[in-house]
Amino acid sequence: MFFSLLSAAGTVVTVVIAVAAVGIVAATLIFHFIRKKQGKTGCGCGCSGCSGCSSHRERKEKAKK
Amino acid sequence: MLKFALAGNPNSGKTTLFNSLTGSTAHVGNWPGVTVDKREGTYKKLSVPVAIVDLPGIYSLSPYTPEEVISRNFILDEKPDCVINIVDATNLERNLYLTTQIMEIDVPMVVALNMIDVVKKSGDKIDAKSLETQIGLPVVEISALKEEGIQELMERAYAAAQKKREGKTVLEGSPLSHVINDVRIALKGKGVENPLFHAVKLTEEDELEVKDHPDEMQMVEEFKKQFRDDTFEGDFEAMVADERYKYISAHFSQALTHSEKKDQGALTKSDKADRVLTHRVWGIPIFIVILFAVFHLTFGEDLLYLNAIFGFAKDVGDGYAVNTGNDVLNAFVSVFYSTAGVSTPGAILFNLMGFITDQLGGLIATGLENAGAAVWAQGLVNDGIWGGVAGVLSFVPQILVLFLFISILEDSGYMARVAFILDRAFRKFGLSGRAFIPMIMGFGCSVPAAINTRTLADEKERIMTNRVIPFFTCGAKAPILAAVCGGIAAHYTNMPLSADVLVFLLYLFGMVMAVLMVMFMRQTSMRGEVAPFIMELPAYHAPQFHNLMVHLWDKLKHYIKKAFTIILASSIVIWFLSNFNWEWECLTVAEGEISRMNESILHDIGSFFMWICTPMGFGLQLGQYGWVFVVAAVTGLIAKENVISTFYVLAGAIGVTVLGVAGEDGESGIGVIAAFLASEDVGITWQGLIAFCVFNMLTVPCFAAAATVKGELPKGKFRWTIAFWLLTSFLTATAIYLMFTWWWTAFIVAALIALVVAYFILRNKGKINFHFKKSKKLQE
Repeated sequence: MFFSLLSAAGTVVTVVIAVAAVGIVAATLIFHFIRKKQGKTGCGCGCSGCSGCSSHRERKEKAKK
Repeated sequence: MLKFALAGNPNSGKTTLFNSLTGSTAHVGNWPGVTVDKREGTYKKLSVPVAIVDLPGIYSLSPYTPEEVISRNFILDEKPDCVINIVDATNLERNLYLTTQIMEIDVPMVVALNMIDVVKKSGDKIDAKSLETQIGLPVVEISALKEEGIQELMERAYAAAQKKREGKTVLEGSPLSHVINDVRIALKGKGVENPLFHAVKLTEEDELEVKDHPDEMQMVEEFKKQFRDDTFEGDFEAMVADERYKYISAHFSQALTHSEKKDQGALTKSDKADRVLTHRVWGIPIFIVILFAVFHLTFGEDLLYLNAIFGFAKDVGDGYAVNTGNDVLNAFVSVFYSTAGVSTPGAILFNLMGFITDQLGGLIATGLENAGAAVWAQGLVNDGIWGGVAGVLSFVPQILVLFLFISILEDSGYMARVAFILDRAFRKFGLSGRAFIPMIMGFGCSVPAAINTRTLADEKERIMTNRVIPFFTCGAKAPILAAVCGGIAAHYTNMPLSADVLVFLLYLFGMVMAVLMVMFMRQTSMRGEVAPFIMELPAYHAPQFHNLMVHLWDKLKHYIKKAFTIILASSIVIWFLSNFNWEWECLTVAEGEISRMNESILHDIGSFFMWICTPMGFGLQLGQYGWVFVVAAVTGLIAKENVISTFYVLAGAIGVTVLGVAGEDGESGIGVIAAFLASEDVGITWQGLIAFCVFNMLTVPCFAAAATVKGELPKGKFRWTIAFWLLTSFLTATAIYLMFTWWWTAFIVAALIALVVAYFILRNKGKINFHFKKSKKLQE
């Protein structure tokens, strides 16, 4: 009984790890795709002083016009 | 929503005020030209929320560089409800020049006398009420840094925004007032907005205005023919500027009273410091010493080389300098004091982070094993997820220490001096000091650095600067250097160079390469004159604790965000590719078994490209696991931190071979590199590792930086820039590997360089000129 429970727990942990790994990769790709759509560089340089994102978007919009 | 624009001279404190008003953490620096694009935030302490727009600093509304155009166009076209003109009160007369120009636009306006606390401290006085009467605009005394007078400023701006305001000029009584008035009436008749501003600009023969209003320009031309005044030889722009300054000095400057005690001829503290720090001879050596001190305190393991001099730290057993009898306690004590000596601040934080990640990694591994997770799932979490992320995170404290020092240098005003002293040294080689500002910013991140090149008026200089910015090792590349140099120092214990010296030399090498490459481009595709460099040197001031923390918080956020998104995802993908073969069979093995990674998809891909890296010392000459270096270099293109996380993931996967050799150092990034050096299956040499570092420093930067550079370059130049990065990194890394491996090859490399230099010298003197025969068709 104890061993079958342990084995079930191991299976659950394994499945959770697999799902989480696939989820992380998919979420990162989607996140970057959305940011690219928004015209942001996706550099994540972290500085709110980095005006790169907004200016790139404006440039693209101007180019479209 | 109401919209207020912040306009003023560079380095007058606009961004500091913007941060105070909106609660933002925008980058502020003690040098002119930090802001190159407008940014928005919201002020919520009035009865209605107000949008605040921070504009790039400008000296006048006559645009020369792209960011000056942004400021001018915003005020004219976007019609803000109020312009808050930030005036540096310590430099009143020069700052009011822009005020006299904005006044001519039909927009509500308030003048903010910033840095009033500094004026008061110096003993000077500014009569704000008298200034207000003279200018005819609300004037508020503020200190953006100390957040004084901000509420009053916003209330008066709000009140001003409720009323319409018509432009007013200080040129009323000047000899040009007649033509200005005539043109203004003509423009108003046509329904042109801001007629007074456009009339003055037309009189100045502003290029943009001449193009937009050719009919009115004829009126100016007619006036010019009749006008008799040879003082400025018909240069109306100079005449207008002169009239403005005359008016400012006669009317506005009276509001300023200099302290009686103040000896006008005496040197200020900044002047005295500059006598030493910007000295013609000692300026550059002092900069190099300061830079070395920064690297020593960040990457050194022996504080002030005390142990190297006095030799007090001894191995008392198991590699520890202190033996308490408890392994965990010994490991904790060695964070601060090891056989290398007393740790530097950077080393303490690095060791501490390594200690924490090691303990956490151990807990995770034990937990998964006890939970009975599958072997492959354990490998994925231990090596793929935790290994990759922890590898990068363990360097975060050290990088933060590095950025703390760089921020101190920036905020104190020293970095602006660096541009000045480098300009003096490198002008004759084709580089202006203005270009050094974005390059120095490249130490942080290449993305904002590339954007800052917009402040360079000369297109060729802009292209060259964008190309060499990645040579200035950014925060993401720093862990590569730290890990590799630390690994070399840990493996070759008898080596005379310590890790901090090696990192410093590599940083310096990047800077030297940037200068050499600019010189090379100046002689080939980018020939031309060096643009003049005029920069206002800001006064030195003690770095603000708040600003420093904001910089560090930005960096920390950046690392954490990247570690848990792109690096985490990349580590998982790399783990997957290194643990599965083309038949989708899992190759993960339990601890103690022989690794099967050489059957993996990643092995096949990496091995396929190994021949390219062979001349650089990390290709076919390596052992069966040598391909990990090729894979690491390629994953670095996504984000440079990936290089380290890739080492971690792959070292974990081939752990039976590598970590067994790593011994006590076990899991740390430095341990992994030392283990690679010790492992015959990897077969890397220190020469190959240095070449690997050089290649990563000079090659194509991460995707984000490359995309930003593409946006900043003129059309068609990006593909050449990619070729430039690839070729420079390949040739330099190859030369480094050859010279360090076989010393005599240094003569061949030196001879080749001498040939190129001799060619350029002779060509410039006109003694060599290659004429290629033109084809008959071309001749016809």
